[in-house]
Amino acid sequence: MTRDEILTRILSVFEQEFEIKNPGLDENLTEAYEFDSIDALELLGEIEKMLGSELSREEKKESMEIRTINQICDYVERLARSRGL
Amino acid sequence: MENRVVITAASAISPIGHHKDEIIDSLINGKSGVKALRPDDLLSDYVESKVFGTVSTPIEFDFERKYRKTMGPVAYYACQVVKEVLEAAGLDPAFISSGRLGVAFGSTHGSPTVQRGIYEKFFSHSRSDFSTVGAVDYLKSMVHTTAVNITKMFRIKGRVISSSTACTTGSQSIGFGYEAVKYGLQDAMLCGGADEYDTTTVAVFDNLLACSTAFNDTPHRTPRPFDKQRDGLVVGEGAGCVLLESYDFARKRGAPILGEVIGFWCNNNGGDLILPNRDGITDTIRLGLKNAGLAPEEVDFVSAHATATKMGDIVEAQAIHNVYGDHPYVTGLKGYMGHTMGSCGAIETIMTLYMMEKGFMAPTLNLTDVDDRCAMIRHTQKLIERDIHIAAVQNFAFGGVNTCLFIKKFE
Repeated sequence: MTRDEILTRILSVFEQEFEIKNPGLDENLTEAYEFDSIDALELLGEIEKMLGSELSREEKKESMEIRTINQICDYVERLARSRGL
Repeated sequence: MENRVVITAASAISPIGHHKDEIIDSLINGKSGVKALRPDDLLSDYVESKVFGTVSTPIEFDFERKYRKTMGPVAYYACQVVKEVLEAAGLDPAFISSGRLGVAFGSTHGSPTVQRGIYEKFFSHSRSDFSTVGAVDYLKSMVHTTAVNITKMFRIKGRVISSSTACTTGSQSIGFGYEAVKYGLQDAMLCGGADEYDTTTVAVFDNLLACSTAFNDTPHRTPRPFDKQRDGLVVGEGAGCVLLESYDFARKRGAPILGEVIGFWCNNNGGDLILPNRDGITDTIRLGLKNAGLAPEEVDFVSAHATATKMGDIVEAQAIHNVYGDHPYVTGLKGYMGHTMGSCGAIETIMTLYMMEKGFMAPTLNLTDVDDRCAMIRHTQKLIERDIHIAAVQNFAFGGVNTCLFIKKFE
């Protein structure tokens, strides 16, 4: 799974699920779009679908400091690599 | 110091209409909002009562996703009536978020539609299904879902009261909101109740033999408050909201005043949780009158709870007669729309305000032959063109909760 593929999928999720179009890649999502803890939990569910596997409790906790699209992509990239994707 | 408390805006989504003109037209022309129960995949085949007070008017909800995500159907109803009230009121946005505006709003039990989905996942014995139950499901189904979705959508920072006392939810919301403004705790309160289309409520009342079953083929002929042929209640859906403000605040900002809340009482029967109680209801009315500073003969209209159950209507008629004799006209508005549960107190208050404004008393729909045991009071059996100066709105709930609100025409 390449970085570009991950970014495309994440942007699609943001448009389809969160009605946020073309967010800045380094924008603070909470400040710019009121992306909140409920959205974050929903995003984790979408990431599980992307990866085709459940996230462990520890992996979910690692996501709690994420604020931007680029940080989300970094996170998914790490998870994909650890799964050999 | 005690403030006078006035109603400055109101909105209802009801089985007999959404906007004021539509509701008034239904009341004047005797249009029923009771329809055939919609088939579902859970209970509709099993319940014997096949009727429901149904909201038929299409409503275009225009809520952003950031608000929709925590809303079940009941919260859509609640936020829509609040939106309409705020639009009508024209409150300054700075005031709305000042902490001086509060919310008193509830429903019978959050969103039963969402709760059903949660339990389906829990009972699927599938780990993947189980793990999909999340925070949003709770936020949609919790009992205070209406109140806090309202605070979120409109950025309200005042106190929150979220009664969940079944059929007295809406009337308690108005009553507790009235007290919050009367005693200066808030300058204004958004008050009301909502409930969504739900067959589980039908099933519960059906199993208690409290639902109407004899008019399944002619839904508009039931419920029949105080009528000899009545055979039980009809569950319904809807929402209602009123904006209460202190009189001084409303006058200062030049708000139109629709009516004044002049008294409220709430008590409990202190015993049986299901059976209606004549003494408990009589006490509520008497104590409410005292709270309002009224003599019984000053009340000229009673919006009765009148669910059309065999015993409930008799007990209520006895209590009304105990206090008022046969002086005020009595209407059971549920004849038009069934029992809208957590919203009925708010919807029936709003309909009473509309009748006050237009100068008429709507008759109890389907009351054609008064039960002898309910005949000691003055039933409204035809449309009466007459001003209502002071109205009482009565509601009672499972759990032995009784409420009575007193509304005065603003003159």
